[in-house]
Amino acid sequence: MAEPLLRVKDLKKYFPIRRGVLQRTVGYVRAVDGVSFEVERGETLGVVGESGCGKSTMARSILRLIEPTAGEVWFEGENLLRLSGSSLRHMRRQMQIVFQDPYASLNPRYSIGYTLEEPMIVHRLHTPAERKRRVRWLLERVGLDPDYAKRYPHEFSGGQRQRIGIARALVLQPKLILLDEPVAALDVSVQSQVLNLLEDLQDEFDLTYIFVAHDLSVVRHISDRILVLYLGRMAELADAEVLFVDPLHPYTRALLSAVPVPDPDAKRERIILRGDVPSPANPPHGCPFHTRCPVAMDVCRSEVPAWREVKPRHYVACHLY
Amino acid sequence: MAKVLDVRGLRVDFRIDERYYPAVHDIHFHIDEGETLGLVGESGCGKSVTSLAIMRLLGPGTKVSGEVRYGGKNLLAIPDAEMRRIRGNDISMIFQEPMTSLNPVQRIGTQIGESLFLHRGLTGRAAREQAIQLLQEVGIPRAEEVVDDYPHQLSGGMRQRVMIAIAMACNPKLLIADEPTTALDVTIQAQILDLMRRLSRDHGTSILLITHDLGVVAEMCQRVAVMYAGQIVEQGPVREIFKHPQHPYTIGLLNSIPRMDGPRTRLTPIEGNVPSLRNMPRGCRFAPRCPHAMDVCRAQDPEPVMVEPGHDVRCWLHAPVKEAR
Ligand SMILES: Nc1ncnc2c1ncn2[C@@H]1O[C@H](COP(=O)(O)OP(=O)(O)OP(=O)(O)O)[C@@H](O)[C@H]1O
Ligand SMILES: Nc1ncnc2c1ncn2[C@@H]1O[C@H](COP(=O)(O)OP(=O)(O)O)[C@@H](O)[C@H]1O
Ligand code: SF4
Ligand code: SF4
Ligand SMILES: [Mg+2]
Ligand SMILES: [Mg+2]
Repeated sequence: MAEPLLRVKDLKKYFPIRRGVLQRTVGYVRAVDGVSFEVERGETLGVVGESGCGKSTMARSILRLIEPTAGEVWFEGENLLRLSGSSLRHMRRQMQIVFQDPYASLNPRYSIGYTLEEPMIVHRLHTPAERKRRVRWLLERVGLDPDYAKRYPHEFSGGQRQRIGIARALVLQPKLILLDEPVAALDVSVQSQVLNLLEDLQDEFDLTYIFVAHDLSVVRHISDRILVLYLGRMAELADAEVLFVDPLHPYTRALLSAVPVPDPDAKRERIILRGDVPSPANPPHGCPFHTRCPVAMDVCRSEVPAWREVKPRHYVACHLY
Repeated sequence: MAKVLDVRGLRVDFRIDERYYPAVHDIHFHIDEGETLGLVGESGCGKSVTSLAIMRLLGPGTKVSGEVRYGGKNLLAIPDAEMRRIRGNDISMIFQEPMTSLNPVQRIGTQIGESLFLHRGLTGRAAREQAIQLLQEVGIPRAEEVVDDYPHQLSGGMRQRVMIAIAMACNPKLLIADEPTTALDVTIQAQILDLMRRLSRDHGTSILLITHDLGVVAEMCQRVAVMYAGQIVEQGPVREIFKHPQHPYTIGLLNSIPRMDGPRTRLTPIEGNVPSLRNMPRGCRFAPRCPHAMDVCRAQDPEPVMVEPGHDVRCWLHAPVKEAR
């Protein structure tokens, strides 16, 4: 098989917890604790899990927007975590990110045109006239009026701002786009417009997506494969169709069963989990899910379950398998 | 069945730059005893304003008119003191972000105790024991310890449980829940919805459940009212609305959400955006986004029409023929 576009190996991000006047490190928040996966060219990998399970930290660590504690991130044959200076900058052009909050992620003092032109200026690409032309072309690609280049963020709705955020991610012709909850802040009627747009752009520009979200129906809709995280660790990874029909990990099962279905006749067999996600500063021993798992066994409290391919292309970390 | 709450012709105008704009425009709905009514709609369509108007919690600069009938009275016309008694005693409310309605420097037990004192005259040991019992009833583990905690020591789901405990302390007839689970993860949402369902069943409490999540409505409600741009555009029994939606906006909403069931097909979005208060279109407010808009729609606002008993639609497609032409 061809080399995957992205290969993440044993990625970790620990945030130090500091206390007292001397700001001594008294412990670590293990936000991402050993995550490994590959992303094929042109595919969409969905990443799901409850809030605080490390989705955003993982996305930011991959791009080195925050410095990972350990691991490897291979992109096009290079380990990003070993790069610096101009070679890192060059690699970063290929990988872009779109954030959840379309309000906070645009600079209110920049016109839309400048926001889109800036990355090209930074990377010294094209002549000014070409850059302007490219801005107008991009706005059109994301379904906006090219004349919006002259306007400012406050003049736009949430959905329009998210389109602008997507256009900005496209400016440098990246291969990979990380989307961190890109539709979570949008109304449902607009959410579907943006999801369709992302699908169209993926086809048009051969994009590869990592799509992070907590909304399972959105992730099911857009993803080819889905990675389920729990407390900074991988619980399950499978093709989207398979995961929703045949979830193996007890956490995935509970998560899927908790989603309310907009059909009053739907039969529900809800698994209600007890309690909350434990703190990643003090994760449980053994299987991180054992404190809430309805089928936990003795071994789960002492031994970390291994990550295994239990069916073709279907990985799970659970002592049941 | 007896109506607990009957809202007739409610209208709310906000003052913006010397002018008044209607945020809620002539809405009618009622809630039966023991029933859960869903109020759904996208951001800014007037769901919260409606609930705040019912509770008389809107500030100055607002004009509220119409009637909110409760227990034979119009809540909009009774004296402030009487309204305060009803608020908390008969009707309680929980909000999306429990942190904003809990006092950060007061222990949980003290906050529940306050409500127990106000509404049931309990103090001291009796209040504390009752508070612990309420916390247990809403499924808080280690209730004897949590009663002495401060809000910031609790997770979002636990805070929302505490809010529900406070709201239920007075055994209200009606609970208004404004997006009670929107800030929570699905697994915690399932716990909270389960709790609300149980409380409503055990105590016969009616619920006005405000949400933008059609899945939550399908699961929790007997009837639903769909709001768009300050109006209720369709309302009726949940099954009827989900199986045979009549208003183009309701149909659009149902088609635009990705599903957990069924095949993965391309989504059918509603084009355009929700209009802002200051740019309300003339005529039907949905006309600029409606695939069926006709001339009459752009000229004149349709009135609600009954299409089935208990199922109303506000759309020219369903108006009696002679009026529409
Ligand atoms: N105090 C206020 N002054 C002026 N306009 C207001 C005020 N409060 C609300 N509005 C406007 O009234 C409309 C309805 O707001 P409301 O908060 O009821 O929406 P909502 O349906 O609850 O939305 P969400 O789903 O975002 O909670 C919006 O256009 C809002 O901007
Ligand atoms: N800068 C930071 N300092 C300390 N802890 C952090 C920081 N950023 C995130 N965390 C913690 O790391 C965990 C994972 O966070 P995050 O990646 O944002 O989760 P998600 O995106 O899945 O909701 C959480 O416990 C969060 O509180
Ligand atoms: S390893 Fe044990 S505790 Fe963990 S998910 Fe599997 S059965 Fe549950
Ligand atoms: S009244 Fe006209 S514009 Fe409004 S929803 Fe009905 S058909 Fe569409
Ligand atoms: Mg996040
Ligand atoms: Mg609201």
